[in-house]
Amino acid sequence: MDAKDILGLPKTAFASVQEKKPRPPKEPQRKPDGVSREVYALTGGVGMAPLMPTVEASHLKRRPAVEKEKEKVTWQWIPFISSARTDNLQLYHWARVVNGTPPTGDYHFAKYNTKADVLKYTDEEYEKYLTDPAWSREETDQLFELCERFDLRFIVIADRFPSARSVEDLKSRYYSVTRALLIARARSFDEVAGNPLVKETFNAAHETERKRALSALLSQTKQQEQKDAEILAEAKRIMESRAASKNAEEAEALTSFDNAVVTADGVSPLSHAHPSSTATLPAAAVNSSIPASLRMLRVYLRTQALDQMVQAASASAGLRIIKRVDQTLQDLGVNLKPKVPTKAVCVEHLELRKEILTLLNLQKQLQNKEAEVSANRENSFTEAPSTPKRANRDVDRSFVPDTVGFGGERAGKRDHKRKSTGRFMDAPPSPPQSNKRPRKLKASD
Amino acid sequence: MYGGDEVSAIVVDVGSYSCKAGYAGDDTPKAVFSSVVGSIEQTGEADEAKAGTASDSKNGAKPMDVDKAKTKRKLYVGQELEFRRDHMEVISPMKDGTVTDWDIVDNIWNHAFKQRLLINPEEHPMLIAEPSTNTGQQREKAAELMFEKYKVPALFLAKNAVLTSFASGRATSLVVDSGGGSTVVAAVHDGYVLQKSVATSPISGEFLTDCMMKSLESKGVVIRPRYSFKKKEVSPGEYKVMDLDFPNTTESYRLYCMRAIASDIKESVCRVPDTAFDEVAYANVPTTSYELPDGQTIEVGADRFKIPDILFNPSLSQTIPGVDGFADSMSARGLPRMVIDSVNRCDVDIRKELLGSILLSGGSSSILQLKERLEKEVLEESPGNARVKVLASGNSVERRFSVWIGGSILASLGSFQQMWFSKAEYEEHGVSYIQRKCP
Repeated sequence: MDAKDILGLPKTAFASVQEKKPRPPKEPQRKPDGVSREVYALTGGVGMAPLMPTVEASHLKRRPAVEKEKEKVTWQWIPFISSARTDNLQLYHWARVVNGTPPTGDYHFAKYNTKADVLKYTDEEYEKYLTDPAWSREETDQLFELCERFDLRFIVIADRFPSARSVEDLKSRYYSVTRALLIARARSFDEVAGNPLVKETFNAAHETERKRALSALLSQTKQQEQKDAEILAEAKRIMESRAASKNAEEAEALTSFDNAVVTADGVSPLSHAHPSSTATLPAAAVNSSIPASLRMLRVYLRTQALDQMVQAASASAGLRIIKRVDQTLQDLGVNLKPKVPTKAVCVEHLELRKEILTLLNLQKQLQNKEAEVSANRENSFTEAPSTPKRANRDVDRSFVPDTVGFGGERAGKRDHKRKSTGRFMDAPPSPPQSNKRPRKLKASD
Repeated sequence: MYGGDEVSAIVVDVGSYSCKAGYAGDDTPKAVFSSVVGSIEQTGEADEAKAGTASDSKNGAKPMDVDKAKTKRKLYVGQELEFRRDHMEVISPMKDGTVTDWDIVDNIWNHAFKQRLLINPEEHPMLIAEPSTNTGQQREKAAELMFEKYKVPALFLAKNAVLTSFASGRATSLVVDSGGGSTVVAAVHDGYVLQKSVATSPISGEFLTDCMMKSLESKGVVIRPRYSFKKKEVSPGEYKVMDLDFPNTTESYRLYCMRAIASDIKESVCRVPDTAFDEVAYANVPTTSYELPDGQTIEVGADRFKIPDILFNPSLSQTIPGVDGFADSMSARGLPRMVIDSVNRCDVDIRKELLGSILLSGGSSSILQLKERLEKEVLEESPGNARVKVLASGNSVERRFSVWIGGSILASLGSFQQMWFSKAEYEEHGVSYIQRKCP
């Protein structure tokens, strides 16, 4: 009623508003169908939506009639036969009968009647292949009968076997007989080679041994197990203490090594200690991790230390000068890194580097000074004096005992650096004088 | 694979204490009654048994007539036993768990089928539960009886231990069945009982009841059988007890009634102690009171713990005056020892599995704390790396009827229907074929 009002035209809605007013006073007096008066009053008389679809009694009566048109299903107590049975025992059960025809087909559970595949041998086969001194014919027959009855459950078979034979015994006999039969019956060996019965033989000795060990393990009394546990714990402790003492020894050796380094004694103990320390180093092959691990053991590689020292020394020098130093060293026939980095050698090497550095610095300063001098002179004399330039050039050349290319490069670089001496650029570089000994002071030729 | 298909088979389990029968597929047996029967020797003339004036009169059914050529006797089975009759002896068909008197068993079956279940045995396949130690001869006798007399269409004999194992859903387990007449420990592997592992012990519910009775008697408590007194209300709430005298009551019946009361005492107050029972330690244990049917209240103290501990320590029974020792008291071992021995007689490979699933069944297994104590004891004596687990269904009804329930499950399985030993096979191969068919 009210829904219609809401959905209706606004005109009527407006009208319904007016209608509503006279309505409420009427409703409490009237008892609507299906709902008790009180409930209706509780909910305010309006807006009672049906919560559940009502089931009409007529629907309930109509349904069975509809069903009858489809197929008729009844449940009947009828006999059935199972293909798993050899006799024709008729048992009864409830079955779903559709339209009067009972279900066809085999008994539903007959397919679960699986049996183990036990071979049967004939007498002559037995005579030919299967005789065995430890087993009589009757016993073998009994064994096979039990195998079939119990579906190869060997534990149960061993339990029921009339004479007391072990499970391994029975298994080995069964498997050997079946294997021999398979091989004998097959036309060629290849056919049955894939058969797991043929491929792997049953190892009775192994099984017996395994069972014996297992039973020994299981029959240990509580005291024995406690003792075992104690012994194992003890062994573990000993192992740990041994490892710990080994570490301690290493540490001691390292401390002694360090002391030797500090006192800077002769080469021999160090060289002796050095390989030994490398030997006792933990096997950290990665170079980056070596310094870290070394620091832990207070061991350091001299080569690395040397590098560091070289770097420290030439830090203020700049890349070019470092290269010059290296070049000088090479010209002198000295390796950039000493082959045998013992302490004395390293010290000497450093000294050499320092001296070269000093030399280069002095040469540079000299060069600067001479440039100043020449610049002053040029300012006073306008003609281009070749000699001082030449001298300058020679001076320049003296400590660049290198190939032309290099000199050229150097020249370029030099010119780049000295703007005031831009005139030197057009002068062709004279063939470098291969002076082995750098001349500290160039006397003008 | 484990689908059910009911063929309305009947499952019958005749135990030493009670007999259970019902339809396969049910939760519990419909017919449960005592296995002992009353018999009155007939001296030739037809002897109408008069219903005694027992104070608790139950609904009496007509006594069955058993006409035997040799010993004419009337057997009263089931509820008829509740009546006191003159000269009625109480006899049990079983001894030590196996059937000794097939006639009585026959009567029991008859009573179950005709009076209790109201069925016609010719229409229903039968599943019979047999003791795990049953001999081949016994089975053949049972089969013969069933086929010849009752003409069942199909039959199967299943061992108790296997059925208990199936009732708990396992194919491999160690079953400890402590019922009325005997305690049997048997290992079941893959659904077959391992004969070499079966161990029996005469210590069981009945024996414990006897011990309880003798112990109470030695303490001066007189247990009056129910028929021997009458209570009369003299004033509201107050009763006067009058003794009734029935001189012709047999001793066995008297004992039977007394045992019923003692067994009720045992069931209500007894508890297995957590450790081995010690006379000194338990001397001052608080007592529990119990009211006997004739109104007297007795206090049960140390006996509460002593009686169940006999299961674990059989020699305790010797301390109770009046209790007969066993013929082979040396070999009577406690329950944990029996379990361990049984496991050790099995193949090494399955020992761990067996120890991990020990099932308790039988009426006497409902004694409180039995499960925990047994688990503890077996754990002590077993190898350390084996996990020991004793399982028992929480419901005491399930424990009592676990054999029957296992039979109910088995007989209603679809894949079992091919295993029945049918009448046709019986006629064709003879009764010894049952050895093959029912392993």
